[in-house]
Amino acid sequence: MSQSYDRGLIEDFGRWTEFSAGMWAWIFHKFTGWVLIGYLFTHIAVLSTAMSGPEVYTSTLQGLEALLIVRFLEVGLLAVAVFHILNGVRLLFVDLGVGLESQDRSFYASLVLTGAIVIASIPTFLAGAI
Amino acid sequence: MAERYSSFEPKGTRWLLQRLTAAFLVVVLAFHFMTLHFVNHAADVTFAGTQMRMQQPGYFVTMVAFGLTATFHGVNGVYNALVNQGIEGTGKTAVKWVLIVAALLLGVQIIRVATVMAGVSIA
Amino acid sequence: MSTGITEPETEEEQETEAAGAARAAESAHQQARMEKKEIDEANRDARRQAREAVEAADRTVELKVFRFDPEVPEKEEPRFDSFPVPFTKGMTVLDALMWARDHYDSSLTFRHSCRQAVCGSDALFVNGQQRLGCKTQVADLAENGVPETVRIEPLPHAEVVKDLVVDMEHFYDQMESVEPYFQDEDTPDGLNEQRQSRENREEIKMSTRCIWCGACMSSCNIAAGDNQYLGPAAINKAYRFAMDEREGDNLTEHRLNIIEQEHGVWRCQTQFSCTEVCPKDIPLTEHIQALKREAVKKNLKFW
Repeated sequence: MSQSYDRGLIEDFGRWTEFSAGMWAWIFHKFTGWVLIGYLFTHIAVLSTAMSGPEVYTSTLQGLEALLIVRFLEVGLLAVAVFHILNGVRLLFVDLGVGLESQDRSFYASLVLTGAIVIASIPTFLAGAI
Repeated sequence: MAERYSSFEPKGTRWLLQRLTAAFLVVVLAFHFMTLHFVNHAADVTFAGTQMRMQQPGYFVTMVAFGLTATFHGVNGVYNALVNQGIEGTGKTAVKWVLIVAALLLGVQIIRVATVMAGVSIA
Repeated sequence: MSTGITEPETEEEQETEAAGAARAAESAHQQARMEKKEIDEANRDARRQAREAVEAADRTVELKVFRFDPEVPEKEEPRFDSFPVPFTKGMTVLDALMWARDHYDSSLTFRHSCRQAVCGSDALFVNGQQRLGCKTQVADLAENGVPETVRIEPLPHAEVVKDLVVDMEHFYDQMESVEPYFQDEDTPDGLNEQRQSRENREEIKMSTRCIWCGACMSSCNIAAGDNQYLGPAAINKAYRFAMDEREGDNLTEHRLNIIEQEHGVWRCQTQFSCTEVCPKDIPLTEHIQALKREAVKKNLKFW
């Protein structure tokens, strides 16, 4: 045929208000996944200060923990990790063929539970830095 | 059209491993968070405290397994996300090898750091 | 072509012919003018009728339709045309489109055939979701009954040929690659028929309903990104045959080999969009998951 028009992928994200639960779950799981793998590399790098001796390790970690911004980032990390775990469990059930009829409700449940756990943990996470 | 056989993709092994490692990580990551934020506080971490935990053989083994499993799960996840997005050809091969190398380096570093944390000095 | 033997023309006849041709040319021009006049009048009539119908209607729906035509200068750049269509009870999106085409613009192009959701021709993107035009009631598109506007676009993630028509070749390629036809020629010993138990039929019943409309593949983000992904429809087709007990084990294994390649079942990320948009209510994700489990089970036996 002569030419056809390829609308590209850009049109997709303009429609975000129309996304379904399953699509949000996929997007969030991917996003949190990237954050976590990025964090893994960073975390091991920080922990590698152990190889430079106890004092370097201790002072690095405690120095980081003293910064309020780091505490907030840790709360964010908690949110990301908890969502990835809860939605991951949902996906494991889907893979086993269990509960597919309520897959959208289980996504909303993961979101709610993530929120609840994060809010409940804020005091512990911020303790000593505020 | 369906691809012909690729010897590197043995029939969904990575898919299965991603699920198996996921099940393991759900438990261990939750445990890790509990240990380092609730039982002990991250702000109170010292080398001595770390060493005390890492010198317990069960804890040490769990942490190393945790690190290596997470490395596989994460790097495999990244690879799959990119394949879903449509990388192919030389780009795909390049990315695959970069990821494999990165994963190996990370794995090795995890073992080294864990060993040092347990009080065994590596020159 | 005439099979009669034609005699060569004489000069006299040639002259008469020339005069006749001149007269014919003149009246051909006259004819063309008369025809154009009739067409213009018919167009004016149609537009007047459309206006009157719209004014007389209790409610109208505004169709916003995607237009694109690489062969027409005004439509080389995609645009949306607005067509006010009088709403009638029980009107489907397809009905509305046909009214618009018949009363406003006969160049509005879209596929449709059976108008009863069995041919799969009129899969469209209506108000942000993949739907069959003939199956979608206009009155169902808004929360409180008839919507003000209905936005109609061609299926996403497919190349647009013209207006609402997309190129389905890629979809058909993926379907063909799973060998979507019954292959077992052997009948069981002592029988002339290949029998299927009721339970087995129940198991695959939903997967037989596919009408190849392409809505599912259009809704899948993985299919959009990864061009080699088989897609939910193809994998569902593979399920329909792989789970059919009438085909022998070798054939089943062959079918599983096709779908367990890198761009087969493993690419599915259980987004569930396919299941949501399927106009025949096929639980596509469930079937894809079942095949993943089958493939894993089959390969575990190797170790």
